[in-house]
Amino acid sequence: MSSSIHDQFVLFRDSLDDYHDRRERLIKASRDITNISKKTIFLLHRLALEAQDAPARASAAKAGLNKLREVQKMYAGMKDELVGDNFWRYQRQVSPGLQEYIEALSFAHYLEHGNLISYDQVQATLCGADGIAYFPLTISDYLLGISDLTGELMRFAISGFGSPGGRSRALETCYLVRNCKSDFERFTPHVWDLHKKQAVTAQSLSKIEDAVYTAVVRTSEFDLPPEMLDDLVNETVFTYNREGKNFERGNDDSEDFSHSYYH
Amino acid sequence: MDSQTLDNLNQMLDHESDIRERIRDQVNEFDKKTRTVVGILSKIHSTHSESMPSLIETAQPVIHSFSETITTLASIIPPNQFWRWKDMWCNSLRTAVFAAVLSEYLTKGILLSLESTSAILGMQEEWHDRVHLAVEDYLHGLITMVNELSRLAVNAVILGDFEEPLKISAFVKEVFLGFSMLNLKNDTLRRRFDSLKYDMKKIEEVVYDVSLRKLVVKQPPVPAKPTS
Repeated sequence: MSSSIHDQFVLFRDSLDDYHDRRERLIKASRDITNISKKTIFLLHRLALEAQDAPARASAAKAGLNKLREVQKMYAGMKDELVGDNFWRYQRQVSPGLQEYIEALSFAHYLEHGNLISYDQVQATLCGADGIAYFPLTISDYLLGISDLTGELMRFAISGFGSPGGRSRALETCYLVRNCKSDFERFTPHVWDLHKKQAVTAQSLSKIEDAVYTAVVRTSEFDLPPEMLDDLVNETVFTYNREGKNFERGNDDSEDFSHSYYH
Repeated sequence: MDSQTLDNLNQMLDHESDIRERIRDQVNEFDKKTRTVVGILSKIHSTHSESMPSLIETAQPVIHSFSETITTLASIIPPNQFWRWKDMWCNSLRTAVFAAVLSEYLTKGILLSLESTSAILGMQEEWHDRVHLAVEDYLHGLITMVNELSRLAVNAVILGDFEEPLKISAFVKEVFLGFSMLNLKNDTLRRRFDSLKYDMKKIEEVVYDVSLRKLVVKQPPVPAKPTS
């Protein structure tokens, strides 16, 4: 082989190897990020279910945000691979993990503040101490990540439905998800695959609406404030549980449930 | 989201689609040019080797006009966003590479290097983050050239030129050896590389036929020295 052709192909080999290796590394990192983000979402659901009031939810959010620091550290480590025009070369490898991270981050943000995290706030979590972004956040990753949040909000609304204040929280999420759906409609021509996510959002929305409908119909049958209804239901559940326990473990004198509107 | 945020996001997205539209216009222009040049170069299969230089000469103005389109593209692409948009024009660019490397081989018998191809296409170093010739696109252009040369080996014989297949065989073997050095993944480049062996086989069969029948009267020419 003539030496100049040989030399050229050696350079091509190095350049292609570098590309493939970097691509693999980023795919792995993105998978790890997806993994941590999914775990964070489960953690947030668990903690949010137990949290009865706003401060408790805020501390649940803190726990989630703490876990997401791991992800932010990983992005800090990846920034050298994504410098300059390299970000766009590997955007497709980075994007799945990034969307999952935005989903987890926006869920934690919602539990703390009760609203949607903004584009700038997300970008701010992906900046070094010097305030320089690790890489530019794309609008499409932001919108697609937030779009996934609506599914989490649906889960949050439905599974917390029976707990105190669950009905009014379901109504709040209902408004938020409904707004998301209508706000995102105008972006669908611009963002690849957003229309599919919109269809999923529509499903989640109708599940929340059905739940809220049930709440409204049942509440209207009793002329009592919703908290009182919660307590009524809880008392029944509690009494049932205590009797069950007594049956199993003999008498135990736990008297921690002390308030009822009927005493 | 409040309406201010929505408007901001929408504005950014509108800006992106504006860029996309402008690139699309240029890609259309680019496409017209590459189709013209492919039309001219398809005549190599019915051209005797002595009139080959004048045929290639007619393709030169079109090949040189690629640089206008590429310069305009570079002015549209925002800094650092080469990889974001390159898929829009990479087919046209690969065809342009094909036209340049084929013309070089047919006139000088050598392989045009990536750097020289970039220069002919008018790529400039200061736009490297906006428009450049990626290794992958150059290699795609080379494979198209080999595909075309395997046809030319057959068609040269039809025209009574029994030497051309030997020259092509030597040249294509060198290029093939180069490709064999690469660690290709399972992508389009790999699939197209796999097709090269059929081209090699076809060329070898022609060489076999003409050699066995002693159709090459003259001494086989020294294989062209491929240099950049």
